Amino acid sequence: MNKQQFLEKLAVLLKGLPQQDVKEILYDYDEHFRNGAQEGKTEEEIASKLGDVRQIANQFRASYALKIAEEKSTPVNVFRAVAMTVTLGFFNLVIVFGPYIAILGVIAGMFAAALGITVAGVVGIAAAIFSPLFWEYISLGTSRAFVFFLSVGTACLGVLIFIADFYIAKYFFKGTVRYLKWNFNIIKG
Amino acid sequence: MMSVNIQLKKGVLELCVLSILYRKDCYGYELVKQISENIEIAEGTIYPLLKRLKDEGYFATYLQESQEGPPRKYYKLTELGKKTKEQLEREWMSFVDSVNRILQEG
Repeated sequence: MNKQQFLEKLAVLLKGLPQQDVKEILYDYDEHFRNGAQEGKTEEEIASKLGDVRQIANQFRASYALKIAEEKSTPVNVFRAVAMTVTLGFFNLVIVFGPYIAILGVIAGMFAAALGITVAGVVGIAAAIFSPLFWEYISLGTSRAFVFFLSVGTACLGVLIFIADFYIAKYFFKGTVRYLKWNFNIIKG
Repeated sequence: MMSVNIQLKKGVLELCVLSILYRKDCYGYELVKQISENIEIAEGTIYPLLKRLKDEGYFATYLQESQEGPPRKYYKLTELGKKTKEQLEREWMSFVDSVNRILQEG
């Protein structure tokens, strides 16, 4: 691989990063090639010592993904950062990634539970209110007031669980970012 | 154990970069050469590290003309970079001491 091929491949692999960053990165490698050439090295020699272009690009991309996830810890941003870190091999696949996905599943399950309980409450409230209109179809089997208040309680419980889930998820994603950063950046510890 | 190995290398690499720049400002090629002469590493992976440390404020860069050719981008430690280097070096020394003490007891 010569200098032009190296830089072109790197440029393609860095797509999606801010233009300014890409420009600076390409400049750095261009300078590296020029300085190497001055020492009498061939472009092929320099390129082979630089190593795998894909791995280099992944490092820049992972850094960037992590920066974005830190600024805005949305599930998508955090998951992108996790995925990039996995490609670098820092995120231990068996010991860390497996349990991580399991916890994500539990959180998704808790959201589903909150949704289910809330919907049950709302349906119960509707049943209590409208049961006289549909007396042929709906039989409450107990007093309307009892069903009504029970359902209001159920709906409120669902909403409360939903709020709790939201905070759990938020801290989970924040924690993920901190863990990735620690993996990535020993200096800050 | 692979991740521990990577972590160790990465941490040491950061200290090496900071130490080289602690002595004098360097341009990228010079820095990469000094490291790869001593540590086996794909040279291209040092630049992502440099960018990250720069983004986090450990050093600044400036361009300087060279006699032989195009201008070069020099890296210079900031106050934060200097302090961090001193602290990391202390931690490294005490870690190495501890390990050596254990090794020599045998």
